[in-house]
Amino acid sequence: MRNKKVHITIIVIFIIIVGVSLYYILTEPINLGLDLKGGTQIILKPTQSGGEEEIPESKLEETIKKIMDRIDSLGVSEPLVTKDYYNNIVIQLPGVEDQDTAKEVIGKTAELEFRLVMGTFISLTEQKWDLVEIDYIKEQLPIDPDSDQVLLVDDINSMTSGEAFSIIGELITEPDTQEMLLVEYEEEGSREEDGQDNNTEENQEADTTVEPDKVIGKIIYNQETRELQLVDYQTGDVAGEVLVDSRTGAATMVEQVLLTGDDLARAVAGYDKYGSIRVALSFKDEGVEKFAEVTSENIGRNLAIVLDEEIESSPYIKVPIDDGEAEITGIDSIEEAKNIEIVLQTGALPITLQLEESSTVGPTLGRDSLNKGLYAGIAGLILIIAFMISYYRGLGFISTISLMIYIVLFWGIISGIGAALTLPGIAGIILTIGMAVDANVIIFERIKEEIIKEKSPRVAVGDGFRNAMRTIIDSNVTTLITAAALYRFGTGPIRGFAVTLSLGVVISMLISLLFTRSLLFLMAGVPRIATPGFMGFRIRRSE
Amino acid sequence: MRFRNFNFNFIGKRKIWFIISLAVIIIGIAGFFLRGGFNLGIDFLGGSLIEVEFEKEVNVSEVREVMDELGYSSAILQMVKTDLVQTESNRFIIRIKAKELGEPISTEEKDQVLDLLDERIGVVGELLQDRTVDPGFSRVLIKNALLAIGISIAGILIYVWIRFEFRFGAAAILALVHDVSVTLGIYAILSREINTSTIAAILTIIGYSLNDTIVVFDRVRENTPLTGRLGYSRVVNDSVNITLSRSINTSITTLFPVVLLLILGTSALKDFALALTIGIISGTYSSIFFASPILVAWNNRFPKYKK
Repeated sequence: MRNKKVHITIIVIFIIIVGVSLYYILTEPINLGLDLKGGTQIILKPTQSGGEEEIPESKLEETIKKIMDRIDSLGVSEPLVTKDYYNNIVIQLPGVEDQDTAKEVIGKTAELEFRLVMGTFISLTEQKWDLVEIDYIKEQLPIDPDSDQVLLVDDINSMTSGEAFSIIGELITEPDTQEMLLVEYEEEGSREEDGQDNNTEENQEADTTVEPDKVIGKIIYNQETRELQLVDYQTGDVAGEVLVDSRTGAATMVEQVLLTGDDLARAVAGYDKYGSIRVALSFKDEGVEKFAEVTSENIGRNLAIVLDEEIESSPYIKVPIDDGEAEITGIDSIEEAKNIEIVLQTGALPITLQLEESSTVGPTLGRDSLNKGLYAGIAGLILIIAFMISYYRGLGFISTISLMIYIVLFWGIISGIGAALTLPGIAGIILTIGMAVDANVIIFERIKEEIIKEKSPRVAVGDGFRNAMRTIIDSNVTTLITAAALYRFGTGPIRGFAVTLSLGVVISMLISLLFTRSLLFLMAGVPRIATPGFMGFRIRRSE
Repeated sequence: MRFRNFNFNFIGKRKIWFIISLAVIIIGIAGFFLRGGFNLGIDFLGGSLIEVEFEKEVNVSEVREVMDELGYSSAILQMVKTDLVQTESNRFIIRIKAKELGEPISTEEKDQVLDLLDERIGVVGELLQDRTVDPGFSRVLIKNALLAIGISIAGILIYVWIRFEFRFGAAAILALVHDVSVTLGIYAILSREINTSTIAAILTIIGYSLNDTIVVFDRVRENTPLTGRLGYSRVVNDSVNITLSRSINTSITTLFPVVLLLILGTSALKDFALALTIGIISGTYSSIFFASPILVAWNNRFPKYKK
C-alpha cells in the first residue's frame, strides 16, 4: 500500500499547487499584451555611422535609459523598453494611440549643434534663382559634374523676402578630376548678368579658367558619415558641412561645431514676448562663456542651431550674448516645441536609431480580440468536455478534471510570473488545450487496449500508463524542439507564442504523467468505480 | 480480438494515398504560379496597414475610389465582416505595401489618406490599427522564420533518429513537408495573406504534424518484434489501425477550439486558425496515409525487416 500513499501525496501536492495558482489568479490581474489592451509598439534598430562594427553594450544601455526618460516626460504609464536578441530596441507604450508623437520624440537622436553659417547654396537653373533641391545636391555634388551654376550666398534662412543676397562663392566642377570646387566670387553684384549669360559652353569655359588661389575648398560626399563636407583644397581638412533642409530643400554651408547639446543646462518650450512659439535654451557655466566668446567674435554673422542635421533656426548675431540664453524659433506648434524640449532635456542619444516597425492597436480592437478569443476558448472547452465524456464515459470525467487543473495552472503561472498574454498567446493556449487532451486520449486508448486483453482494471491502468508514457514524452519533446527554435529565432509575437506553447506542453505533460496517473491508480483500486462502463465500454467484457 | 476496432487496409492502397497527396500539392503549386506567388503581407514586404472605422457602412468600391484618387490604386482593401454575406461594412483594413513605393508611406501621406476618407465617408475617432514595417526589417523577419524552420527540422530529425531509426526521422520530415506544402498551397490558391501569424501557425503545424506522426511510429516501433510472424507491411498497417481512434479523437478535440476561433475570431486570430485547421487535418491525414506507408515503401526498397 506504499504506492497508494505516493498517489495520495501527489494528488495533495497538485491540490496545493492549484490553490496557489487560484491565489495568484485572484490577486494578480493578468497582464495583457498591447494587442489585447491597446497601445503602441515601436521597434528601433541601432545604426552606427561608419561601418558595421558592434555597438557597445554601454551605449545601448545608455540609449535605453534616455528613451525611458523621454517616455516618462511624455507621461506614459507602465512603458516597457527592452532590447531583443538582435539588439533592436523594442518600446511598448500601453494606451498610446498616437504613434506619430511617440516616433517623433523617442527615436530622435537629438544631436544639438551650434555652428556659424557660411552661406546658402542657390542654383541657376533655367535662368531663374531657386533653392537647391535635396535630390539635386545628392545627385550633383559628388557625382554628376554637368550642373548649372551653383552659387554660395549669405544665409537666406534668416533673411526676410526682398532683401538681397550677396554672393560669396561659386561651386564649379573641375573638368579633369570632376571635383566640386568652391571658388571665391570675384564680381560682387554682377549676379544678374551672370544669370542671363549662363549656358553650358560658357560654364565649360569658366571651368577651365579656375585660378588656384581663388579656390576656398572642395565639397565631398563622405560615405561613412553620409555628410556633404567642405574640405580644405590643400590640406584636405574638414572645414565645414553642407546641411540640406528636408522641408525646403535649401542647402546651407556651416562651419565646424562650436557648442553642442552637452553645453545646455535647460530647454523650456513656451512663448516669447511677442507670442511666438519658441524653445528657450540656457547654457551651463562653461557654455555661457563659450557662447559669449562666439557671439562677440562673430557679430554680423548668422549662428545656426542645428538639431539632427536640420537647421532649426539661424539667428543673426547683433550683439555679444553674455547671459547664456538662446532660443529656437520658427516652430509650427506648441506640441512640436514640447517635443523639442523633451529631447533636448534628456540629451542626445549616443547612437542613431532607425525605425523598423511601428504598430498601434486601438483599445476597441484589442478588447474585441480578447473577448472573441475567450468565447472561442470556452466554447471549445465545453465541446471537448462533452466529447470526452460521451466517448470515454468515466475516464472522460477524469480528463475533465485534468483539463480544469491544466487551465488553472496555466493561468496561475501566467499571472504569477507576470507574463503578458498576447493574441498569438491565446492561439497558443487554445492549441495546447488540444494537446493536453491528446495526452489523455493516448492514455485512455492504451488502458482500453489492456482491458480488451482481459486484464484487471488495476493491471490495465498500470500497463496502459507505462505504454502511453513513452509516446507522450516523445511526441511532446518534438513540440518543445519546435517551440525552442521559435523562441530562439522568432521576433515579438512569435516569441510570445513560443512561450505559451512550451509552457502548455510542460504543464500538460506534468499533469498527465503525475496527477492523472495517480488519480487513475486510486480509482482503479476501488472495484465499484473501476468497471468496464467507467472505462468507456458499452458492452460487457464477457461478450 | 486485438484489432477489433478497426481493420482498414491503409498500406496496401498506399499508391492511391500517395497520388492524392501529390495531387493536392501539385494543385497548390499550380495555384502558386497562377496567382503569381504568395500574397505576402506587410510583415514581409514592408509597408503600412491601417484599420479604419467609418461613420456609416460602405462597400469596397467607395473606399477604392478614395484610394485611387490619391494614387494608391495598388492598396489592398479588406472589409471587416461580422457575417459572411454582407457587402458593406463600417470597418476596413487598408494595406499599402512598400513594394510599389520602395518605402512605407510617410506619416504625412497617411494623414492625407485619412483626411480624404474622413471628408468623403466620415471616419470615427482614432484608428483601430496602425502599423508600419520597414522593408529592411521584413527581410530580417523572413530570414528568422526560415532559420527557425530549418533549425527545428534539424532538431526533430536528430531526436527521432536517436529515439527511433533514421528512416523514421526521414519519413516524419517528409510528412511534415507534406503538411506545410498543403497549407501553403491552399494559402496560394485562396490568395490569403501570409504574415507573422501564418508563420507562427506553420511552425505549430510542424510541431503538431510531428506529434501525430510520432504516436503512430511509436506503435510501429513497439510492434516491430512481431515482424517475423506478420511481415513489416502488416505490422505497420496494424499499428496505424490501433492508433486510429486516438488519431481521430485528438484531431477532433484539437479542432474544436481552432475551428471556433476561425468562426468567431478577429482577423488576426482567423489568420492563425485557418492555417492551424488546414495543418491539423493534413497532419492527421499524413500520419495515417503518408508517413506510415513511406516506412513500408522504404523497407521494400532497402529491406531491413521481412516484407
